[in-house]
Amino acid sequence: MDILRALRFRAYPQKALPVYKEICVLTIFFLLLTPIMHMYRITDFMIFCIFVMSFDLLYGYLGLLSFGHVLYLGAGVYISVLFSIYINSNPLLSLLAGTLGGGIIAAILGLIVVKLDGASFALVNLAFSQIGYFLVSSTFQKLTHGTDGISSRVEAWGFLNFSNEYVTFSFILISMLLVFYFLKKLTSSPFGVLIRSIKENETRVTFLGYNTYLYKWITFLVAGTIASFAGGIYTLYVQYVSPTVLNPLDNIDPILAVLIGGAGNLYGAIAGGLLFMMMKDWLSSHFAVWQWVLGIILLIISFWFRHGFTGFVMAIRNYQRKKAVTYDQDGV
Amino acid sequence: MVESLIYGFTLGAILYLFSIGLSLTFGTMKIINFAHAMAYTLGVYFFITFLRVFPGAFSISALLAILCMIPVAYIVERLIIRRLYGESLDYAIIATYAVLLIGTDFIKFVWGNVPQQVSDPVGLSISVFDFIIPVYRLIIVAVAIILFVGINILIRTTIIGKIVVAALEDADGVRCLGVNVSKHFSIVFIFGTLLAVLGGILYAPISAADPYMWLSILLIAFAVVILGGMGNLNGTFVSAFVLGITMAITGRFWSQAADTIVFVVMAIVLIFRRRVA
Amino acid sequence: MRLLEVDEINVSYGRAMVLHDISMHLNQGEIVFVVGRNGAGKTTLLKTLMGLLKPWNGSIFYEGEKTLGIGPVKLAQKGLRYVAQDKKVFSGLSVRDNIALAAYSNAVSMTEAITNVTSIYPKLNDFMENKAGGLSGGQRELLLIGRALVGHPKLLLIDEPTEGLAAIVIRDIFKILVHMKTENISAIIVEQNLSIVNRLADRIYVMREGHIIKEIDNSRQTEHSNELESYL
Repeated sequence: MDILRALRFRAYPQKALPVYKEICVLTIFFLLLTPIMHMYRITDFMIFCIFVMSFDLLYGYLGLLSFGHVLYLGAGVYISVLFSIYINSNPLLSLLAGTLGGGIIAAILGLIVVKLDGASFALVNLAFSQIGYFLVSSTFQKLTHGTDGISSRVEAWGFLNFSNEYVTFSFILISMLLVFYFLKKLTSSPFGVLIRSIKENETRVTFLGYNTYLYKWITFLVAGTIASFAGGIYTLYVQYVSPTVLNPLDNIDPILAVLIGGAGNLYGAIAGGLLFMMMKDWLSSHFAVWQWVLGIILLIISFWFRHGFTGFVMAIRNYQRKKAVTYDQDGV
Repeated sequence: MVESLIYGFTLGAILYLFSIGLSLTFGTMKIINFAHAMAYTLGVYFFITFLRVFPGAFSISALLAILCMIPVAYIVERLIIRRLYGESLDYAIIATYAVLLIGTDFIKFVWGNVPQQVSDPVGLSISVFDFIIPVYRLIIVAVAIILFVGINILIRTTIIGKIVVAALEDADGVRCLGVNVSKHFSIVFIFGTLLAVLGGILYAPISAADPYMWLSILLIAFAVVILGGMGNLNGTFVSAFVLGITMAITGRFWSQAADTIVFVVMAIVLIFRRRVA
Repeated sequence: MRLLEVDEINVSYGRAMVLHDISMHLNQGEIVFVVGRNGAGKTTLLKTLMGLLKPWNGSIFYEGEKTLGIGPVKLAQKGLRYVAQDKKVFSGLSVRDNIALAAYSNAVSMTEAITNVTSIYPKLNDFMENKAGGLSGGQRELLLIGRALVGHPKLLLIDEPTEGLAAIVIRDIFKILVHMKTENISAIIVEQNLSIVNRLADRIYVMREGHIIKEIDNSRQTEHSNELESYL
C-alpha cells in the first residue's frame, strides 16, 4: 500500500549520525537542567514537550489548528489509570492501554474531524474536548469518581519503580527522545514532505493523485496517539489525577507553546514547551495576577516574532552567515 | 417547563446579542475575535460601577457603560484587529486571546475576583395561565427581536449595510470600487462589540459578574456562529435561540449536560452539513 | 507625462514568480491590449496595476505618482477601475444596489450613476430590482463595465471582457469600448478575441510565461492577426 511504502522508503540519503547527535544534545541539555530545577518539575516539562511535539505535527507540519488536543492527553491519563485500577496494575501495560485507547479515539474522531477546515476544525475539536471533560467528570462518575479525582494504582514492575525519581526521570527522558526520534524520521520521510505540501496547497496535492483525506487522518491519528502516550506516562508517576487534565481552557497551552518555540520544527516544539512552562512557573510564583504578561508576550510574538524562538535563532544564524560570506568575498 | 422555555428564550436573546459581533467579524475579516469576550466582561463591570454611583438608574448606567466601551472597541480595532487583516487565522486567534488575557487581568486588578451581583431592575413578574414569568426576561427577548428587525432594516436601507453585505461576499471587489472597506469594518466591529456589551448588561441581573464570566458564553457563542453560518446574521438569530432553548430544556432534566449538549448539537450538524463553514 | 508607467516589476504568487521584469506604459486616451496564452500572467499584471498584488521590486507610476503600497481603494478614487475576469458582481445585492456602491464611493448621485450605466446598457433598466446574482454572463459584464464608468474614471483595467459571451453581446461590448475611446478614457484590456484587438488597439503587448515578448504599434490599423497568432 502506498503509505507503507512511503514510511519505509527513504527518499533522502539519511546520514545516521546527525539524528543521534541531536539526541545526545537533547539528553545533555535536559541532564544539565537537573541541578537547577527539581526533577519532578523537569519530568512534567518533558511530558508537556511530548504533548507539544504531537500538537506541532498536526499544526506546524500539516497546518491544522486544533482547539481540543487536550482531549487526547486526558484520554491517555484516564484510560491508563482506569486500566491500572480495574484490569492490571502493570505500568507498561497501563501505558500501552492508555496510548492505544487514546489512539482509537483519535482514529474515530479523526474520521469526522479531518473533513473540516480552518475555524470549523478548530472549534469542533474544542467541542469534543468539552464533551470529553463532561463525560469524565459527570457521566462516568461511577468509574472515574468525577471531580473528586482518582488515585492511580500503578505498581512497580521489575526495576521500573516509579516512586524512585531517578527511574522516573530516565524513563521519561528516554520516552521523549524516542518520540523525538520517531517524529524526526516521520517528518523527514516522504510522508513528512507530503503533509507539508498539503499544508501549503491541498488542492494541488489532490491533483497529484494523493488521497489527502487519508494522510490528514493518519497525521491526526499519530498526533492523538502521541498525546495519549504523554498522558499515559504522566499517570506512571503521579499518584492522583482529576478531570482538570481535560480542562478545555488548557487547550490554548500547546498552541502558545508551539508559537513561542516556532511552529513546524521539533526543536521549536521542545523549546516552546520548556519556555512556556518556565514562564508560567516563574510568573505565577512572582505575581498574583500574571496572565497579562503572557498576553503581552503573545502579542509581541504574533506581530513581530511569527516564527517563535527557533525562528529568531535561525534568523540570527542566517544573518551571521551572510556577514561571513560577504567578508570572505571582500576581505580575502 | 414553561419557565425553562422562557429562560431558553432569554438565553437565546443574550446569545444572539453576543454572537452578532463574532459572526460579523469573522464574516468580514476572517478573524476569530477572542477579545470580544473581554469587551463583554469589561462593559458589564463598567455598568456595575455606574450602578453603584447612580443607584437604581439601570438604563442610564447601561447607556454610560456602552458609551465607555466605544473608545475601548475602537482601540482594540485600531491596534490589534486592523493589523490582523488578511493574516492567517492562527495569529488572529493568538493576538485576540492575548488581549483577552490582558483585559481579564486588568479587571481582576481593578475590581477584584469576587463575583458581583446585580438585582433585577424591574422586579416584577406577570402571571400567564398559572405560570409566573419575570417581566424582565420578556424585555430581554423583546430587545433581541427589535434589534433583529432593526439590523435587517439597516442592512437593507443604509449604504453601510450594503457595503457589509457586498464585502461579506467579495471584499476586494468593494475595495476596487474605491470604498474604504477598512473604515466601514471598524464601524461594524464597534457596533458588534457594543451589542455584546448590551447583552452582558442585560444578562447581569440573571447571573453574577466575575472576571471569567465570558468563559461559558464564548464557547457556546462559537457554536451559535458556526451553526448559523459565519457572517449570516439571520442564521445567527435562529441558531442562538435554538441553542438557548436546547440548553435550558436540557438543564431542566440533566443539569450538568446543559453546556455540553450544545457542542454535541454543533458537532452533529457540522458532520452532516454539506457545505464547509 | 504618461498616464501609466511600469518599470521592471517582478510579481510572485506565493513562492512562484509570475511576472518577470515587466515594463510597459500607457498614454492618456490610448487603448492598449494585452494578449497571450493562458497562464502568461495577464491577470496578475492587471491585479498588480490595481494594487491587489504587490511587486517585490520595480515601480509603477500612475499620473506621475508611485503606486507601491497605495492599495486599490485609493487607486480607484484616483480614477483607476478594474473589471475582473470572473465577472463577479455582488450577487446578494440588487442591480440597483450594485450601482449604488459605485455612486457612493464616487460621490455621484444615484440618478446620475444610473443614467451613466443605462445609457451604455438600456436594457438594464428592466433588471434594476433583481438580485445581481441572477444576471447572465453578458449582462454582468455590461453591468460591471457600466459600473466602472461611473464617476468619470481615467483608466480602466478590463480582464477578458468577451470571454464566454455570445456574439450579440460581444458586439455591445465592442460598441462600449468604441464609445470609451471617443470619451478619451484610457484602457488596458486583456483579450483573446483578435478581431476586437485589431480594430481597437492603439498598441498591443504580447505576453508569454510572465514576460512581455513584443510590443506592437497598431496606430495605423494594419492587419496584425497573422503576426499576433504566431505569438499565441
